[in-house]
Amino acid sequence: MKSMRYLFFIPALFVPVLLVTAQTPAPSKFATSAPAKKTATAAPVKNFKESGSPNAPVRIEIYTDYECPACRDLYMNALPSINSDFVATGKVQLLHRDYPLPQHQYSKLATRYANAAGEIGKYEVVANQLFVTQPQWAADGKVDGVVAKVLSPAEMEKVRGLVKNDTHLDDSVTADVAMGTNVDHLSQTPTIVVVSKGKRDVIGGMPPYIVFKQFVNQKLK
Amino acid sequence: MKRWLLIAGRLIIAVIFLYAGYEKVREPWLQFAISVESFKMVPETWLEPIARILPWCEIVLGIALLLPGFIGRWSSLVATGLLSFFLFIGIRASVKGLIVDCGCFGAGHSGAIDAEWFAEHVAMLALGLAVMVGEFWKARRPKKSLLA
Repeated sequence: MKSMRYLFFIPALFVPVLLVTAQTPAPSKFATSAPAKKTATAAPVKNFKESGSPNAPVRIEIYTDYECPACRDLYMNALPSINSDFVATGKVQLLHRDYPLPQHQYSKLATRYANAAGEIGKYEVVANQLFVTQPQWAADGKVDGVVAKVLSPAEMEKVRGLVKNDTHLDDSVTADVAMGTNVDHLSQTPTIVVVSKGKRDVIGGMPPYIVFKQFVNQKLK
Repeated sequence: MKRWLLIAGRLIIAVIFLYAGYEKVREPWLQFAISVESFKMVPETWLEPIARILPWCEIVLGIALLLPGFIGRWSSLVATGLLSFFLFIGIRASVKGLIVDCGCFGAGHSGAIDAEWFAEHVAMLALGLAVMVGEFWKARRPKKSLLA
């Protein structure tokens, strides 16, 4: 009976094996490290959502919902630093991905306006305006009014036409949602995916920028 | 019978710690850093070391709990201390009205600090205490083989 205590050694022997497998990517509700080759199978994303060098060693993909307050925080507080520290220096390519959440009433409409603006080369300015004025249009649904403030009347007419008539305007959104759901297994917005050396690190939420910077710098080494 | 209860209790605590550490090690350390940060207890410069080290400490503790004798006994004390600390920071976050993601078992299996979280952690702490008391009680008793 006394020797029974050494039975504990048996499960202990399996622990190193488990730890080795821990480093192997495995699908989960909040999966990380999905193989990068899956990216190649996803629908192409429109160029206006990308910025930075296509040859950058690291790519950061950011899933946002225009009506999500945490996404607004990320866009207004962290994104300028990401752009200046990594994108402008050619270290990182940035890719915006749309992930409108079903519980947000006007998010899909806002996404359509942003992507329509992208078609006429005004994506950044309209995306910025949508996040800046989010509390306003999220309350009353008047997306058109806030977008009109940053575009000329002629540009606004084009955007309205695209929002109303372009049946393919949501194609990139559908691709982004499929990517977020099936590959990156999103459970929240914002979600940041850091792609480096064929590995996708999926981060739900936004950490303090100083910590995020450390993480990206480690990926750049 | 009591001896088997003690073994089972120690095994359960070990599995809990191994699972918690394993799930966190699988993820980028930044994910757990977000959870740690949400408790607003440590400066930002501590987030990376904690997020990198704590999951491995949990794994080492889980392994130590599987070992017999002195190591297993003192590990049960450390495990109970750690479980008490986790419960304390949960209570603190709740009192302060913080919206936290506990990150206890990795991002996919974590949740907010709610009644279910408290029930889970109180149960784990109760089990840890029972195991710790049992282990030290057992160690205090004179061994029959020595008396013979």
